[in-house]
Amino acid sequence: MGAFFTSRIVSDILIGAAQGVLVGLIALSLVLIWQSTHVLNFAQGAMAMFAAFCGMTMLEHGLNYWVCVLISLVAAMLLGGVTERVLVRPLYGKAEINSIVVMVGFLGILESGASSIWSGMARQLTSPLSQTYFTLGSKTLYLSPFSLFQIGSALTLMLGVAALFRFTKIGLQLRASALAPEVSRLLGVRVSRMLTLGWIISSAVGAFAAIIIATSGSGLFPSNMDGFFVFGFIAAAIGGLESPGGAILAGLLIGIIQTFVADYLSPSWVAFTPVLILVLSQLVRPAGIFTKNTTRRL
Amino acid sequence: MKITQILLRLRYSSLGRLVLALLGTVVAICVVLLVSAQSDTYIANAGAMTIAILGLSLLTGWSGQVSIGNSGFMAVGAFTTGIWANHHQSSPIIISLLLSILTGAIAGLLVGIPATRLKGPYLAGMTLAFVTAMVPFIQSLGKLTGGSGGLFFANLSSPSWFANLSGDPQNFIVANYRWAATVSVVITGVAYYFMSNLFASRAGRAMRLVRDNDVAAELMGVNLGRVRVGAFVISAAYAGLAGSLVALLSGVARADNFGLALSIEILSLLVLGGIGTLSGALMAGLLAAYASTLIAKLNALFGLNPYSNLGSNSQGIIFGLLLVVTMLTAPQGMAGLLKKISHLRARKEAE
Amino acid sequence: MQISNLTVRYGAIEAIRDVTFTAMPSRITAVLGANGAGKTTLLRTISGLVQPASGSIVIEGVELIGRATDDIARLGVGHVPEGRGVIAEFTVEENLRLGAMAFDIDLAAGLDEQYQQFPVLGERRKQYASTLSGGERQMLAMARALIAQPRLLLLDEPSLGLAPLVAAELMTTIRELCATKNLSVLLVEQNAKGALRIADDAVVLSVGRVVANGSAAEVASDDQLRQYYLGLVQ
Repeated sequence: MGAFFTSRIVSDILIGAAQGVLVGLIALSLVLIWQSTHVLNFAQGAMAMFAAFCGMTMLEHGLNYWVCVLISLVAAMLLGGVTERVLVRPLYGKAEINSIVVMVGFLGILESGASSIWSGMARQLTSPLSQTYFTLGSKTLYLSPFSLFQIGSALTLMLGVAALFRFTKIGLQLRASALAPEVSRLLGVRVSRMLTLGWIISSAVGAFAAIIIATSGSGLFPSNMDGFFVFGFIAAAIGGLESPGGAILAGLLIGIIQTFVADYLSPSWVAFTPVLILVLSQLVRPAGIFTKNTTRRL
Repeated sequence: MKITQILLRLRYSSLGRLVLALLGTVVAICVVLLVSAQSDTYIANAGAMTIAILGLSLLTGWSGQVSIGNSGFMAVGAFTTGIWANHHQSSPIIISLLLSILTGAIAGLLVGIPATRLKGPYLAGMTLAFVTAMVPFIQSLGKLTGGSGGLFFANLSSPSWFANLSGDPQNFIVANYRWAATVSVVITGVAYYFMSNLFASRAGRAMRLVRDNDVAAELMGVNLGRVRVGAFVISAAYAGLAGSLVALLSGVARADNFGLALSIEILSLLVLGGIGTLSGALMAGLLAAYASTLIAKLNALFGLNPYSNLGSNSQGIIFGLLLVVTMLTAPQGMAGLLKKISHLRARKEAE
Repeated sequence: MQISNLTVRYGAIEAIRDVTFTAMPSRITAVLGANGAGKTTLLRTISGLVQPASGSIVIEGVELIGRATDDIARLGVGHVPEGRGVIAEFTVEENLRLGAMAFDIDLAAGLDEQYQQFPVLGERRKQYASTLSGGERQMLAMARALIAQPRLLLLDEPSLGLAPLVAAELMTTIRELCATKNLSVLLVEQNAKGALRIADDAVVLSVGRVVANGSAAEVASDDQLRQYYLGLVQ
């Protein structure tokens, strides 16, 4: 039994799943915004990074890790809300290219801004939980207290968001505002507040992922979300941008497949793997694997 | 007023476009020979940026596809040039340039066939994925590309007849700068001429129709896939040429230099100049020439140390801000503003 | 509700020109006219979805113009838009709950009341709205507006796309609702005959102007109106 859990395949799956849930969180964050405002938030990774910097640099002033996480999440919510009100609101109803360009510009501002405030150097965040892998006998089981927390908290967050949308009054209004904004307004729903709230939730989800990524991986630096953002986007696109569940599942798969590619083929192919997966999935189903077909209008 | 009108009218005939391109190139060469060697390096690099911007303008402005991956195709061109230069030291630069156009186009085809099936944000995201994957990919091919250190080779040097022509034949350094800028200006002129013809052609019209209403275009018998892929390939070929020129000017090809930041810079300049117009792309190129000088001056004005955190990142912040503000307030860019101003003036004159 | 001198422009086109009329409380006012007469634009302007160039719309002393759509809804203006606006991805009950969301009412009692009024909705409360027939969707859309207990109900082409028999039943239901709920109804219809049968008053629009305004009986008996504007040939 122990041999099974420490086998190469299971090890790859465990490492991949820990990565995959983070990709899934980013994908979820993108889908939440896309569904409600039809903006693909190219600045999502940078916003998450920026918010993470706001809180996690407090570690250097001796603050508790979890307090720093809390500060980051609050900063993320503020940033998300303000971004929607100031930058995104004027884009509603405009051509797609306008929102792409504005969000790409915002990405540039945030990354350069973070470099100028906190410098481009990577900061190591001291993990509150051990990142040493467990051992079974003489073999390594590729799970650590931190990676367990990583997987567990990501899944909890996903379920929490799902429950919020599914079972609460606010969730019903959020979904209605995304599906039918005009009808919702006619029913007295405060649609514009709901859109802002959607950005706030999305931004918090993204920032949580950024904190975990910075803690578990290469530290916190201005461009440390670039790669993960791309993977998250690809996961969301494979899911069809409309399906939160599909996005999370695709994220998990991307994480696991990447680990297998790195282990069995070559680490230098890891960056290209998601692109290939996206191409293949688009050839099979251009509108995404988990969405229904739609018609095009003149 | 009269002369500008005549010049503007020239663009409606193919001979006129040739005359315009030639005229522009000759004027630019005169400028190159008159200004300082320092300015010549700016002009040389601006030529390369203009070519990349022209390519993106075609893709984004005419066929309606947003790419933030064109710096990846520039990398393809730059490394093609570098690898070729290291293996065939005596081959003329025109071969390097043509090869880079070819490899850029091939890369564009490979990415474009799957990518152009996607629309809007999907396509933009796919090109983003391409460029972020491209940098580590090139770096991983250490033997061929020199890894993360990059590839070094001989850069452009002035032939002796040009050194003689350009004044002081003893001062080869200045002559080299002048020669590099002249080559860059000539290549840009040729690239512009081709693009202006494409803009006026049937294919150019088909692209704009696809951008404005793809369903209607399809109903009118335009082959959507072919037009989209075609625009993508031409755009990538222009990027390949631009990358090759960048490499030839500096004698280095480093994958890092062709990352996402460059793509954002190209897109910013294009938006500032004006998406979808040739004049906008040219203005964007001029801006590219002096952007870094202007930003250095701004830094000095505000007393920023250029090596401090803020000073070294002010360019990124300013470009980002300009991109956001332009898109929110004047989405047609400088070209659009100029058009508006000339319309207003014409109306006043009519009154 | 009083509408005075209302003008709405889409660019250079005047969709509504200087429209003035009053919809009396607890009565059904039919708004009739051909395609493009400006009927839907009128309703959308009342709800704040379209901003007029000039004019005023006053309901119980409150000026509606300049207010946001959600505020107008909260003032007690229910609007069942053209094409019903049922959210297909929601169940019947979710649609109804959404209708009650913005209002301070007893949800359970409200749902009960609507299920009594429209028993078929009660039977299908857990079904997705996408599975409903056209008539059922129209009932759902009306129930969703009524659950908020509006004082003014705007109905945009409720009988469009319904079988004649279903449409006639629907008209009867609207009549009953108006009588029992003390509700004012502004009923936009192309089906002039059905609308005039249940309406108290009628306004006839043509190319954005009011061409007739009076009791439903008067309008129905005017041969010229019937022929030129309502398409009702003897």
